[in-house]
Amino acid sequence: MNEQRRQILEMLAEGKITADEAERLIDAVERDQPVPPPGAALSPKTRPRYLRVVMDDNSDGGAGRINIRVPLQLLRAGVRLASLVPPQVLIRVNAELDKTGVPIDLTQLKPQHLDDLVEHLDELTVDLDQPDTKMRVYCE
Amino acid sequence: MIPQLVTVRYRRSDGRWLRLFVPVLPVLLVLSPLLLLAVLAGLVACRMFRVSPMGALRGVGRLLWALPGARFEIDDGQLAVLVSVR
Repeated sequence: MNEQRRQILEMLAEGKITADEAERLIDAVERDQPVPPPGAALSPKTRPRYLRVVMDDNSDGGAGRINIRVPLQLLRAGVRLASLVPPQVLIRVNAELDKTGVPIDLTQLKPQHLDDLVEHLDELTVDLDQPDTKMRVYCE
Repeated sequence: MIPQLVTVRYRRSDGRWLRLFVPVLPVLLVLSPLLLLAVLAGLVACRMFRVSPMGALRGVGRLLWALPGARFEIDDGQLAVLVSVR
């Protein structure tokens, strides 16, 4: 939250201004803020480039390890390639999925939705901890 | 940039490592006649399944371009395999 917005909210909390005035002031502050250039990162930190899957398994007395690094760009390319699957194939896949009790309609899945999904993977962190196994999925 | 070098490391049960460095471009050049056949077969498949051949080519190209940086490492104590694309 920037300083001006905080001041407006404090004035509202203290009863110095009404809610309408606060809304107008916040609108004015937002209008005055510079528009970020297209393509600029939403957050100040650099955007992650890789999806990492790391698993350490010490069960059964042996030390197993899985370390996978997949470029996010590769996921995007895969998603675009998957969008070429013809509709009649998707209908057959839907029918098979339905038979196995997974009622997902793949025809409703648009490339844009999958793109958005990959785009938001950079905020993903999954940690699984067991006494002898640790698994971590994250982006870096 | 398409992948330039694929490194495959394989640890055998006796603990010795087998390392393979595969330079992608020379291998593609050597296999280009087969690659041509594969492209033709792909085009025929695209016609059969009514998929845009240009879209499919573009998709495969994007996939290739995005491969550098990928790394897969699996180690189960006795055996280990590492595949790295640069």
